[in-house]
Amino acid sequence: MSGALAIHIDLSAPRFRGPHRRAGAALVDANALIQSIAQSSDRQAFVKLFDHFAPRVKALLIRQGTPPDLAEELAQETLLMVWRKAALFDPSRAGASTWIAAIARNLRIDAARREKRSRLPEVFDIIQGEEPEQPDQVLSGSERDSRVRAALTNLSPDQLRVVQLAFMEGLSHQDVAKRLSIPLGTVKSRLRLAMARLRGVLEDLR
Amino acid sequence: MIASHRPSEETLAAFAAGTLDEGLALVVAAHLEVSPESRRDLTEIEAVNGALLDMIEPEAMEADGETLLRGLPARITERLAPPVAPHDAAGLKVLAPYELGRWQTVGRGVALRRVTVPGSDARVFMLRAQPGTRLPAHRHTGAEWTTIVAGAYQHEYGRYAAGDFDEADERHAHTPVVDAIEGCTCIVALTGNVRFEGFFGRLLQPLVRL
Repeated sequence: MSGALAIHIDLSAPRFRGPHRRAGAALVDANALIQSIAQSSDRQAFVKLFDHFAPRVKALLIRQGTPPDLAEELAQETLLMVWRKAALFDPSRAGASTWIAAIARNLRIDAARREKRSRLPEVFDIIQGEEPEQPDQVLSGSERDSRVRAALTNLSPDQLRVVQLAFMEGLSHQDVAKRLSIPLGTVKSRLRLAMARLRGVLEDLR
Repeated sequence: MIASHRPSEETLAAFAAGTLDEGLALVVAAHLEVSPESRRDLTEIEAVNGALLDMIEPEAMEADGETLLRGLPARITERLAPPVAPHDAAGLKVLAPYELGRWQTVGRGVALRRVTVPGSDARVFMLRAQPGTRLPAHRHTGAEWTTIVAGAYQHEYGRYAAGDFDEADERHAHTPVVDAIEGCTCIVALTGNVRFEGFFGRLLQPLVRL
């Protein structure tokens, strides 16, 4: 019996399937790695961050419609930006994944609008610079990130798909409905449920 | 219908993803600058995007971290400074990266100031109206997104005061009336066409086309 169990684990583990593997995909000490780059130009920390985040940023960009070659280039640039901007990283505002996703977004906007320079990345920086609502909550950014990740991990595949399209790809609800060939009302109710879950886990941080 | 006076979650998600037209995004940004509640919503949406990044199925990289590292200086010499607050941007920091035109009078009690947003399909401008001005009734074929910078106006869908966000589309026809005491200054992005109704409205038409 224990043999059968071992085989089952061996088969499923490498595929990164199921909620527990997905939750485990987070790099546990990503915040500390970025801070280590800021404090001591820690090159080992950079390699670890690269190995975890570069393939994910590349996948994200491809999902958002960036051609694979450009996605590769922008994923490299994103991690180089992490190196350069490490001193500006503030885990009380946002955790590592959120911060890196925002850097990737800004580089994607820049790349898409190369000939007519977009000012949006600057606009994002200006908003980011405004005081947060509760500046004394030192752990809130990283804490928020891990709770959001846990909540998303518990969504059904159908709900998660709608969240990915609406948030990651920034599609309108109408376009999400078209993409998945489901009624608009279903999109809205799935999103409502997903957001209710998120709000629930974030209640005491608000 | 109760107007929310804040961007919808759908709008904030598109803003966070960077998929909104830049002119429309700028008007959302003007609201975010002054609304801590909406900034908190944005922060949560960005946290969702961070978590989704962690959960995505990775795509193999051609480059590796070690190689990339060899091109980097041994120590970080660059300290990137946070952005500096602007000067002449009508009190809005988010306008700092953009070129602003001069205020131009376009009718009794109404002045416009163009905001140049390269690459945007929207026409973006600031509008300043004297207290009690009745703006011409109009309909849209596209979106009319507004953030109130100072003062207030009122129309069929509610009263909008400093910091409020007003998202109108082709379903809305309205006749805004500017606050009788404070007047109103706002930033507006228009897509598609606006059709003014009435004789004076039609006189304004070419001006709003900018």
